[in-house]
Order: sequence, then structure tokens, then C-alpha cells
Amino acid sequence: MIKVKSIMTKNVVTVSPSSTVMEAANKIKSKSVSSLVVVDKNKPIAVISERDIIKGVIAKKSKVKDIMSKNFMNISPATTFSAISKSLRGKNIQRFPVVENGDLVGLITETDIVEATRDFTRLHQIVQEIILAIFGLGTAFFLFYFSPLRTVVFGF
Amino acid sequence: MARVKKVMLTKVPTLKKEAKIEEAAKLLTSTENGCVVIVENGAPVGIVTELDYVRNLTSGKSLKGPVTKIMSSPVNSMTPKTKLDEALKIIDTKRYRKYPVVENNKLVGLVTKNDVVHAMSDEMKFHRNIQNAVLIIFVLFELFVFAFNTIL
Repeated sequence: MIKVKSIMTKNVVTVSPSSTVMEAANKIKSKSVSSLVVVDKNKPIAVISERDIIKGVIAKKSKVKDIMSKNFMNISPATTFSAISKSLRGKNIQRFPVVENGDLVGLITETDIVEATRDFTRLHQIVQEIILAIFGLGTAFFLFYFSPLRTVVFGF
Repeated sequence: MARVKKVMLTKVPTLKKEAKIEEAAKLLTSTENGCVVIVENGAPVGIVTELDYVRNLTSGKSLKGPVTKIMSSPVNSMTPKTKLDEALKIIDTKRYRKYPVVENNKLVGLVTKNDVVHAMSDEMKFHRNIQNAVLIIFVLFELFVFAFNTIL
């Protein structure tokens, strides 16, 4: 079971609704992130992506509050990974601020989910190989048990 | 193992080399792909992502002029026949997320890291389920033969 806490980004880059679009763009570039969480008293109220910034530039908007988007879903540290993955692929929500006791404690983005999916796939492959190995040993035992070699191998 | 052809998007936003940056910006926001492929005679020569645009915006450069000014070039591409695990290797070494898919020197699609990872995960799940079903049948058969022989 993948825990939200283990895959989330803890240092979330935040911005206030009254900041300018250029400030937001600078934060995205200097912190090397793809999105910012717009907070009001440490509560996430919206998100801003690179795309929202481009839209803002085209529409000549200057404040974050004019370009921020509501395409996000607050989750708690107890939310299951499969629920998040489903929202990502089904509802096309790409950003999930993690909220605990009303405070923003982390952020899960599409990148985090993709990386977790990869790790998960790798883990499953290993488990599958272990199952195969056990099965192989069982079958070897089975074959020897019913073969003429039985007395040689088991001594009875 | 599935190939890139199965997971690639075939509707790719493209612009000609002569296009303006403003056109690229409009196309970026009106499509969902997060990038625009720049083509010349049908072959990709560069790619403009949302990040390229924001980077140029913050560096204070003028966002007017030809799109070639902000595009990343040359562009790394794949073919429809590239296997998914090979694709993932390319993605890990180049560290980009989006790759134009090229066949006979023409752009035919766009493949993203996310789509490759999800497709591989789904394929893995499918194979695992089949494999486990076969294993269970085998184990049951062995148990049956074993029990039958021990009782007699």
C-alpha cells in the first residue's frame, strides 16, 4: 500500500492570490516546479500551472487571483493511492494538495504519481518472480516425487 | 511488449517554423498536450513546451518574433515501432517528458513519459493476472495428483 505521505512533495511552493503573475512565473522557474499552490492563511484555495501563466500573459492579466485555476483536489494523508490515481486518469486532475488539520502539508503532482506507479510496477515484478521461483521449486519436488528417481532423491 | 504506436497521441499540435511565438502560446493554451511541435516539410525540427515559454518570460526576453527563438532543438524523437521499455530507457537518459513520433521522416504522433509508464503498469498487471491464473491451475492439479497418490 502506497502512503500519500511517502510520495508527496513536502516543500510546497506557495503564492498568495494578491501576488503578480510575474512573481508566480519567477517562482516556478527558480524553484524548478511545474505548479504553485495558491494559499490563503495556509489553506489551499487554488493552483497555478505553467499553462495558467501563459493564459494570463495572453489575456494580459497581472494578478495571480485572475489566472488561478480550481482544477485541483484536496486530499488527506489517509487518501489511498488508487483513489488519487483514478482521479488523475479519469477526471484529469493533476494537482493534489495534501491537507492535514486544515493546513497545507504537501503536494502530489502527476510526476509523483507516475514515479510511484513505476516503483510499484517494479515491486510487483519482484514479487511475481519470487512467486514463480517458489512455484518452480514445488513443481521440481512434484516431478521428482513421481519419477523413478524418487528413491535416489528422497531415499524412500 | 507493446510499442509506442499503441500509446502515442496522433493529434499533435504543430506549427510551421515561420510561426510567431504568440501563435505558439495560443496553441499551448487551447490544447491539452503542454507542447507544440515545430515542423518543416512534415518533419519535426523543434518543440516548444509550456516550460520553455515561462522560462523565456521570466528571463525578460521579448516574447515576440519567430517561434524558433524559444523552441528546443534538435528534438529527440521515437518511431512507432520503439518498444515501451526502450522508450522508457530513452526517457530516462534524455530526461524529457514528450517526444515526437516520426515515421519515414514525417511526424505521426506524440508520446509522453506518463503514457508510457501507465501503459507498462497496465500491461504488467494484465500479464501478472494471467500468469497467476495459470499457476493456480497448476498448483491445484499437482495437489490433486499428490493427494490421490497418497491416499491410494
